[in-house]
Amino acid sequence: MAEIKLKLKKETEIPLEAESITPDKFAGKSNDEIKKLAVYYGREELTIGDFFNVSGKSEEKDDLTIIINGDVSNVKRIGEKMTAGEIIINGDVGMHVGNEMSGGKITVNGNADDWAGAMLKGGELEITGDAGNYVGAAYRGYWQGMKNGIIKVKGKVGVESMLWANGSVPAKRFPTLICGSAGSFLGIHNHGSTIIVEGDVDRCAGADQVKGIIVIKGKVSRLLPSYKKIGEVKEIELFNGEKITGKFIEYAGDHSVKKNHSVVSKKTGELNKSVNGRLFIAA
Amino acid sequence: MSINNLILLTGRTIDQGVALEGGKTTKENVRAAAICAFDTDDFKKLDTLVGTPVKIITDHGEVIVYSTLSEEGPHPGIIFIPMGPWANQVVNPDSQSCGTPTYKGMKAKVEVVKSGKVLDALDLIKTLKEA
Amino acid sequence: MMAVKKIKTIYDVLCPFCGTLCDDLEVDIAENKVVEVRNACQIGTKKFFSSNPSEHRYETPMIKKNGKLERASWEEAIDKAADILANAKRSLLYGFSSTECEAQSKGVELAEILGGVLDNTASVCHGPTLLAKQDVGQPGATLGEFKNRADLVIFWGSNPVHAHPRHLSRYSEFVRGYFRKDGRNDRFIVVIDPRNTHTAQIADLYIQVNPSEDYELLNAIRAVLRGVELDEKEVSGVSMEKIKELVNTLKTCNYGVIFFGMGLTQSLSHHRNIDAAICLTRELNDHTKFSIIPMRGHYNVAGANQVFTWNTGYAYSIDFSRGYARYNPGEFSSVEVLLKDQVDASLIVASDPASNFPAASVINLFKHPLIVIDPHESPTTVYADIVLPAAIAGIEAEGTAYRMDNVPLRLRKVKDAPGECLTDKEILEKLIEKVKEKRGE
Repeated sequence: MAEIKLKLKKETEIPLEAESITPDKFAGKSNDEIKKLAVYYGREELTIGDFFNVSGKSEEKDDLTIIINGDVSNVKRIGEKMTAGEIIINGDVGMHVGNEMSGGKITVNGNADDWAGAMLKGGELEITGDAGNYVGAAYRGYWQGMKNGIIKVKGKVGVESMLWANGSVPAKRFPTLICGSAGSFLGIHNHGSTIIVEGDVDRCAGADQVKGIIVIKGKVSRLLPSYKKIGEVKEIELFNGEKITGKFIEYAGDHSVKKNHSVVSKKTGELNKSVNGRLFIAA
Repeated sequence: MSINNLILLTGRTIDQGVALEGGKTTKENVRAAAICAFDTDDFKKLDTLVGTPVKIITDHGEVIVYSTLSEEGPHPGIIFIPMGPWANQVVNPDSQSCGTPTYKGMKAKVEVVKSGKVLDALDLIKTLKEA
Repeated sequence: MMAVKKIKTIYDVLCPFCGTLCDDLEVDIAENKVVEVRNACQIGTKKFFSSNPSEHRYETPMIKKNGKLERASWEEAIDKAADILANAKRSLLYGFSSTECEAQSKGVELAEILGGVLDNTASVCHGPTLLAKQDVGQPGATLGEFKNRADLVIFWGSNPVHAHPRHLSRYSEFVRGYFRKDGRNDRFIVVIDPRNTHTAQIADLYIQVNPSEDYELLNAIRAVLRGVELDEKEVSGVSMEKIKELVNTLKTCNYGVIFFGMGLTQSLSHHRNIDAAICLTRELNDHTKFSIIPMRGHYNVAGANQVFTWNTGYAYSIDFSRGYARYNPGEFSSVEVLLKDQVDASLIVASDPASNFPAASVINLFKHPLIVIDPHESPTTVYADIVLPAAIAGIEAEGTAYRMDNVPLRLRKVKDAPGECLTDKEILEKLIEKVKEKRGE
């Protein structure tokens, strides 16, 4: 396992865009070559070497870990589109961390700014502190956001997390968010993602949800009027087959959306769960 | 006297619109925008005369404006400051990442002012220049 | 014998104030001064009169020297401004909603050359409407359609008596339409608002909604419309009985329209309020004909969105620092970049952010060089480093403006600008030329 260590050596008054910091881009390069990779500071194109001290040894991307020490809360797009390897950030990180990544793992031992894990296609993003708004969300104008992969946030996620998430059981895509607590509009326009909240959520969870599973182990400040109680359950089966045990009240929704019908199967007489969103609140 | 647990809304009024076209640094503008309209019953709790300066306090700041009675009530629990530099001392700058600040719906507290006065627009903005 | 002033009357003048963009004004000019305005509302009238020379009107460029704004030549002012902008690491160009389309186009050009952030007032106003439109579309129509057809008119979070004073008499409430020959009596007006506004007081039905809880009410209305029986007795302060009554009213009209304003865009949930209102409107078209349009605040903010979009692909909150246009409200919005102190120079065009932005962002606006293009003294110009005096578009300069329903109309020039004022377009052209020169292009 090879490691490259980065440490920010210069103050940033305006944000720095560093989408070149990925195992893919660093793989097989010497430290001098890594220092020459481009970063963007306002309208200036500069290099990684201009802003970071670089040490360590690179390797093939699958075996490479990039460790960033210090506060990089003003550095955006770290880990963008990465496919393999690992990034560990020991500090707060700026917007768009891990956006569009499809493999590998990013760990943030600190807080993350907005759009963490946006448009995720796979891989794993773990944040030990809080994350900003739009975690795992779609970018503006996209109707399909996070397609696969898993995001874990120990602390709180902001508003509109998992916006337009798009999962599919037949295609084995299970975009998942596990968080400590969540702001409003969690899972808005949900199309098949799994969201598990260890604590409380703010209002409008599951707004416009067409398909998906949202599990809330704490309290909901206010459940949307368009959610209908179905009953009590002792076990929840997630899309990927995993099970969560505990007493929960099951709700179906969002019944304000045109696509949602409480479709009862003509064959079995049972509620067709795949045509509906589900929201579970701890009893 | 004071009132807690109010909700502050801000927005356009025709007087404020006329005043700002006439000159944003005029007395007319102060009379149009450096005011807070109260629900008639709510105002009684302040036990003071209409026009008395009051201090509006939110999580985001505080400002002193002239009190008035709302012509658009009843709206118990709601106070209204016209858009402008006085309102912007106390609105929520956070946009929840959509870019538009949350100008309406702040939790607010109101106190009758014992000392302090209503600043005109330039003096008010000066405090931001000197911050 | 007293000399009689020669009065010239100009007809069919557009009013350059709000998004209603009234096109029936008559303006009397004598000796290059506005002496009378007919058909405009109080605010429009005031705007025309304020174009006359006064102590609030700039007639020459001003540069701050020793803490005071002093008169300067155009050459000196443009040179200094171009210097500041050309050397900025990240400049902000903001405003544009109160000027005409060709000037807005020049603004785009300048922002692209500077590699800075380009934004207009939609950012603090109906930006959320554009965000929602990008997610779920918008079934709209023109004001003429509403005037002639709408028998059910809903104002949600909008108070036209105060913000769009002639809207009710020209398009939405009192006017006689082709299929609404009896005017007011042929229409049912509904107002939904936390306050019993002056617009609500003259409506047929006023529904008081709790502040910041419009989303839940829209959600309930949509579900009831779809025939879902809800478990709630009350939503957002409105009884279920009233909600069901309202849904029935919505379903049984001939042609309904929702006009919405800052009540929805500036309160919590912002664009999601609009998202839900649009989806409600769309679904109502399964039952009858329904449309929804925003009550745009400035007379040409819709134009700024149009011009920015056809030039860059995006309507507002655009960043050019990477050499191409990128769009992300919340990341490239004026208030956000100012709050986080991420710009080092600002050019404000036809706008007054010192009055209209939250205080914390204004503090940072003032920390860096500030250049303002404006005809009048304002809290923003008073604390600027350079003021470039502009002719007022729609009064002293011709151009195109887009109404709230995106209909383009032609602004007139009814008089000359005083002193050394130039049009916004001319000023921006000068800045573009000078910046290019300084960059050695």
